[in-house]
Amino acid sequence: MKPTFSILCLAALGVYAQPPVAPTTGEPVGNPRGDNTENYNVMDSFELGYRFATAGGDFDMYRSTVNYTDGVRLLSSSLSIQSRDGHGHWFDQIQLNTQGLGNDPYESATLRIEKSGLYRYDMMWRENDFFDPSLTIANGAHFENTSRRWQDHDLTLFPQGNFRFFLGYSNNVEDGPALTTIQLFDFRGDEFPLIANIHRLQNEYRLGGEIKVFGFRLNVLRGWEDFKEDTPTSILAVAEPGLSGLAPATLNAFQSSQPYHGTSPYWRVGLFRDEGRVWALNGRFSYVAGERNFIDNEFSGGITPIGAAMTQQILAIGDARRPAVTGNLTVSLFPAKFLTITNQTSVANIRTEGDAVFAELQNGVAITPFIPYTYLGIRTIANSTDSEVRFRRWFSMHAGYSYSDRRIGVIDGQENLGGPVPNVTPITQTNLLHVGTLGFRFRPMAGLTLLVDGEIGRADMPYTPISDKNYQTFHARAEYKLKSFRLGAFAKTDYNLNSVSLTSYASHSRNYGVDGSWTPNNWFAIDAGYNKIHLNTLGGMDFFDVGQLTNFNSLYISNIHTATLGARFSIRKRADFYVGYSHTQDVGDGRSTADGLPLGEGASTNLDAFLVAQTFPVKFLSPEARFSLQLNKRMRWNLGYQYYGYAEQFSSIQNFHAHTGYSSVLFSF
Amino acid sequence: MYSLRALLLACALAPSAALAADYVGSNVCKTCHPDVWSNFYRNPHFKSVASGKESPENSGCESCHGPGKAHVEARGGKATVIAFSELAPDKTLDACLRCHGQTISRANIRRSTHTEQDVVCTNCHSIHKSPAPKFLLAKTQTELCYTCHGSVRAQFSMPFKHRVNEGVIQCTDCHNPHGAFAPTWKMASRPRMVDQKQGNEEACLNCHTDKRGPFVYEHGSVRVEGCETCHQPHGSMNARLLRRPTVFTMCLECHNGEGSFGNFGPKFGTGVQRPPSDHNLADPRYRNCTTCHPRIHGSNTSEFFFR
Repeated sequence: MKPTFSILCLAALGVYAQPPVAPTTGEPVGNPRGDNTENYNVMDSFELGYRFATAGGDFDMYRSTVNYTDGVRLLSSSLSIQSRDGHGHWFDQIQLNTQGLGNDPYESATLRIEKSGLYRYDMMWRENDFFDPSLTIANGAHFENTSRRWQDHDLTLFPQGNFRFFLGYSNNVEDGPALTTIQLFDFRGDEFPLIANIHRLQNEYRLGGEIKVFGFRLNVLRGWEDFKEDTPTSILAVAEPGLSGLAPATLNAFQSSQPYHGTSPYWRVGLFRDEGRVWALNGRFSYVAGERNFIDNEFSGGITPIGAAMTQQILAIGDARRPAVTGNLTVSLFPAKFLTITNQTSVANIRTEGDAVFAELQNGVAITPFIPYTYLGIRTIANSTDSEVRFRRWFSMHAGYSYSDRRIGVIDGQENLGGPVPNVTPITQTNLLHVGTLGFRFRPMAGLTLLVDGEIGRADMPYTPISDKNYQTFHARAEYKLKSFRLGAFAKTDYNLNSVSLTSYASHSRNYGVDGSWTPNNWFAIDAGYNKIHLNTLGGMDFFDVGQLTNFNSLYISNIHTATLGARFSIRKRADFYVGYSHTQDVGDGRSTADGLPLGEGASTNLDAFLVAQTFPVKFLSPEARFSLQLNKRMRWNLGYQYYGYAEQFSSIQNFHAHTGYSSVLFSF
Repeated sequence: MYSLRALLLACALAPSAALAADYVGSNVCKTCHPDVWSNFYRNPHFKSVASGKESPENSGCESCHGPGKAHVEARGGKATVIAFSELAPDKTLDACLRCHGQTISRANIRRSTHTEQDVVCTNCHSIHKSPAPKFLLAKTQTELCYTCHGSVRAQFSMPFKHRVNEGVIQCTDCHNPHGAFAPTWKMASRPRMVDQKQGNEEACLNCHTDKRGPFVYEHGSVRVEGCETCHQPHGSMNARLLRRPTVFTMCLECHNGEGSFGNFGPKFGTGVQRPPSDHNLADPRYRNCTTCHPRIHGSNTSEFFFR
């Protein structure tokens, strides 16, 4: 590779890469070809530094959206060991990459070890610290400060052979403190905050194989997913007052244990044949037998809002099952060089059913126990046919039609012990959806591509008032590429009308954008983009306002503008300077204060909260700068800074601003 | 009819029509392309050379670029060899799928939106100049996707988002860029290349394991229509990736008791249940729905998701 071109590529890469105050991996430093040791080539680099962060305003909101903190970090590292002739003794390749190790909120590591023809091992490990403040949602009483760790291990034996074997293991752990709520003791009760100690664990084991016979490849995978949740909740304080302030409601004692364990064994079978010239075929079958066992033992004691002492004990025990079967068959035909026809049929049958016994005691008196009995069955059959005609190399069209038939069956009832057995015949509802698509691709001149697509869908019985019913989408995109210059623009609309008797739910989404990049030489590159994401929906609401049934047409308007800009300068191949800016702003419906005129149609309302909720102007911006200086052949010094500013227009309670940055040294061997 | 068959047969046999003598071997190629060859041992395609067992048409440079004899005799030129920069997108796809076609992850590649829009292998993969550690990607995965999906990039710039820019989540955690099977939710339509987990569930459940259930009491819209009923998966200006800045308006848009939605059979026409008369929406208490209904994704003990 010519050095100039190499640097050009890396510079172009760097201009796009603008992770928030992140490592500068990708800088041209050191010997790009690594060092040869016996029959291996070794390349190694690591970036060690210190990250700093200060925030003003609502620190909780900062942690929710950014979350970087001070400390020493291994910002990134990369190790590559590669056999030079493809005949390593134990391995041909080791590739290890890490990011953010040392307590960054976003840490990851990937590893691949491979011996050609014999095995391939892939590992991915990640950790994400998650902070969710007590936002106004749920009366500010829901809060999480958890950490999630994932790891995936996959071993493939004989990866290039006609017989392959797969072994896999995944682990997903989430734990940490949280705040939640519970409503006690009955519908006249109050809401009380509770401490929860979240602990969720998922293990998944996979075992499979693949065989190639008669030109077909058969892939079989057997897996077991185990899940455990043990999240005890407890009272915050003795005589905990209710959130609504309904004196004298208090919670004096509370204890709850809800272990929730289960296994989902599954099968997945795939059959493929891509003859490539005349036809291709693939089929897939999967079956998941999901099951969870649970028990809920809850005790609470306190004073109700009407001043009565109350103890309540709830015991529920049972299991829930969700067997799911899916099948897919796709046939592609290539009857002529210019024509491709693809048909896919898919069938999915998912049943959710549960067995449980629920018992409740209030002040020591047993409320009649009953057996909750729910059933939700979803059966979907869909068939789609797509065709593509390539009239010329510079012009092609595609068209398609798909048909979906979904039947939902529900049994919603409960059986009192000793009472009559409720009707267990599912009540069903069927929804039919017809979709047509049409589009073309046009290349009027070298480097210029135009794409236009449209889709129209009609459903007769959607499940919710906001589901797709009568919808149409339109998408157009133009892109011009000439050597190191690229300019793209797109327009996308998605309209949905879903009539109900109260009103018509209408959703209009319009999205426009333009972006481009230019790398004229090896010391300068720039990219920029702008997007406008507009959404307005009109939805019917029906609720009680001081005992009066009220109709209200809610108009929600979101008008988001986003802009990004990045520029990189390289000085005599020794120093790199990068500046970037990201601006995201929802200007809402244009009003400057929370007060506003009723924008919806229908009956008038004095509920200001509904009017305020019709729009949410907010601004989030983030300028950044990075500087990187090559100290010698194997070392580079990096310095970075990024500012974050978050500002809501109607209320400043959650606003914050933050200065974050790092200084690091990148060693390359 | 016979002429059509003859044409198809001729097309099918075209690659094998090249004589073994037309293949010159990778050692000849490196004479003029030392810059490509010097790092080629890092390339996964080098396995075909290292194995020493592959036939000439399946080994090294000529396995992708075709027999090189004419190219050598002409002293180079793109017309005498398969040059991917000159190849039509569908031909590029055919060339790569000759070896990479039969895997479950690429089962839907021929009907994927990317293929329909002429986004084929070499648009995302750089075979000889990849800066990425795996999969020969032309750029880092996120930036690669952002090149075309500017609106998605905008969503990940919002204050509440999945941490893709921060590097802990990747696009392929949820999407299969090579095409996806029909979803088992939302009428099996508009798949958006979402990669299903365990064969038939939304990608969200791969990480958010506690939302998977099954629950004795499912929130029907979650199971039937999917998580996107309430959440914007890429990013949102609203907390918790919600579609609305306040939770009560989002709930009430469905729970308005109107039409034939949600309920059917004897309850047909009653719609999705509206808040009962003791829920005075003028009182802020009743506008924080999830305070009393915290188990909104599903519950084993409460029909109304109380616990």
